[in-house]
Amino acid sequence: MATVEIADVRKSYGSVDVIHGISMAIEDGEFVILVGPSGCGKSTLLRMIAGLEEISGGRISIGDRVVNNLPPKDRDIAMVFQNYALYPQMTVAQNLGFSLEMAGLKKPQIRTKVEETAEILGLTPLLSRKPAQLSGGQRQRVAMGRAIVRDPAVFLFDEPLSNLDANLRVQMRAEIKALHRRLGSTIVYVTHDQIEAMTMADRIVVLRAGIIEQMGTPLELYDRPENMFVARFLGSPSMNFLKGTLAEGEEPALVLPGGDRIVLASRPEARGEIVLGVRPQEVTIDPVRGTPARIVVTEPTGADTHIVARVGDTDVTCVVQGRVEEGPDDIIPLSFAVPSAHYFDPETEQRIDAAGSVLELAARSQRAVQ
Amino acid sequence: MLNPRLLQTPRAHALILLAPALIVYTVFAIWPMINVIVLSVQRWDGLSDARTFVGLANYEHIFLRDPVYWVAFRNTILWTVLSVIFPPVIGLLLALGLNERLFGRGALRVVYYLPVIIAPIAVATMWRWMYDPFFGLFNQLLTNAGLEWLIRDWLGDRTIALYSVFVAYTWQSVGFSMVLFLAGLQSVDRSLVEAAHIDGANRWRVFRHVTLPALKPVLTIVLVLSIINSLKAFDIIYGMTQGGPAQSTQMLALWAFTQAMQIFDFGRGGAISVTLLVITLLIVVPYLRWTQREEGRP
Repeated sequence: MATVEIADVRKSYGSVDVIHGISMAIEDGEFVILVGPSGCGKSTLLRMIAGLEEISGGRISIGDRVVNNLPPKDRDIAMVFQNYALYPQMTVAQNLGFSLEMAGLKKPQIRTKVEETAEILGLTPLLSRKPAQLSGGQRQRVAMGRAIVRDPAVFLFDEPLSNLDANLRVQMRAEIKALHRRLGSTIVYVTHDQIEAMTMADRIVVLRAGIIEQMGTPLELYDRPENMFVARFLGSPSMNFLKGTLAEGEEPALVLPGGDRIVLASRPEARGEIVLGVRPQEVTIDPVRGTPARIVVTEPTGADTHIVARVGDTDVTCVVQGRVEEGPDDIIPLSFAVPSAHYFDPETEQRIDAAGSVLELAARSQRAVQ
Repeated sequence: MLNPRLLQTPRAHALILLAPALIVYTVFAIWPMINVIVLSVQRWDGLSDARTFVGLANYEHIFLRDPVYWVAFRNTILWTVLSVIFPPVIGLLLALGLNERLFGRGALRVVYYLPVIIAPIAVATMWRWMYDPFFGLFNQLLTNAGLEWLIRDWLGDRTIALYSVFVAYTWQSVGFSMVLFLAGLQSVDRSLVEAAHIDGANRWRVFRHVTLPALKPVLTIVLVLSIINSLKAFDIIYGMTQGGPAQSTQMLALWAFTQAMQIFDFGRGGAISVTLLVITLLIVVPYLRWTQREEGRP
């Protein structure tokens, strides 16, 4: 077990920079998930920690060792690959024991360790099978077993669940989380699936185009996204954004380009144009404070119903409990007046606080200058 | 009456598609094969009408009274063993090298493949010139390098003629296995290589446990084709030595040809061909069956 420290790490392929100076400290035993859209550099970063990609600049340390120039096998890491990367001609037992064999362990030692690991993951009855005879979930478990058997300082997971079907994914999510609790090891996990990130991570790092957009616990990021990208990325369905001009007057309100008026529950520390962000679960049908919206489509999911409706020229999603009788083209009053509403600067897409202090305002203007 | 609906079944479609190839195969492969077997128990000079049945007399002759047959037999086996080892190994090494990101990789691949597309008879002519004891490239180079003691009559010395021809054959056939291995290397899973690196495998272990298992199907194909091609080795030898000197490069295929087309004893030529056919089937059929069983295994 160990800490991982990433200091101003950069990666470029020729003249193309893909990672622009990322720094973060991962604590001992922490489960950190790197999340972001394809091409954001999350896998590249993981592969640099693993030693599979060269580091173009900066420093990566595992424990108190700088590992920049160490080959993968000397970094005391284990990696679980998206396609499992099991040796097809070897049995499960041989797959699990391969790294131990390479490390020069004696046969009886290898057997003991392999059996222990198989026991943890429920692979004991499968030890003499070959990968082709296993189901997707079983292969996934062997891939994890191969990592566990080495007892590494850091586990690296590269989108390990993306080849599994939806049910199995939910199950493996729980298993990985339980495994982390049991082993207490440091895990760096890459995914593009925000649900995996939200459900498993101690801390999420949201990456975009080679920079960190925000870093924090899942609920910190969900409750206080620093910018529209993070706000949009986490949560399902995605957060609604409405762009408009703040109305002058007693009651805080937003006037949309078409003239519709949206009542706000708090007054953002800004003037002129802003973007209002409200999660679909917080949009309510409210005949008193609601703004009329024309329903585009309703999607019943069983427990609740997703309504997509048009406010001004923007489609917004609203999740309501139970069933709804209204259908397409019906008009419903949607209210966005919740204290948890988020405000963003339409230019910089950065967060604007609702009850902003002078200090925060100063910080914001400084950011704007940068 | 043929029910037109019968033509609509997948089985009928398959038969229709296979028929032309089957007809060509029967006329040009199966029929001559049967004909050769029939010839091998007859006496015929290739011209006269008389084709008399002689029983196993032709076999008796080649096995018991024809000393050249056994020389050709030994040479063919030696040639086959050499061709199963050297061209595939060199081809594999070239493929491994040319699979790396390397300057001029495309050009080098073409260079190594080029000999494959040259007619064997042209290769034979080129190499005969290079092996020429007085004006040939090799002896000139040896002279220039001050290595006169290494100079040989490469194709005239019966102890080395077979190996000299084999070097030319290797030069020509290496590109073939190289290309097959290169294709096979594309199927090596990159993340498997990376997993092996993380597991602590060095280059040799990665090759042994990742690359080689992935190449197994290609390896089978290359070996089987090498065996088949070498058992029927003919044109390059015909072009370089015609089996000489003193039958030291004589091969079964060449000897069958010589018996039939030059000595005009089609019966003996046929008998030699039949023995070659039997040897080929004895080696190739069990091997193919074994590999099919292996591949069927999950």
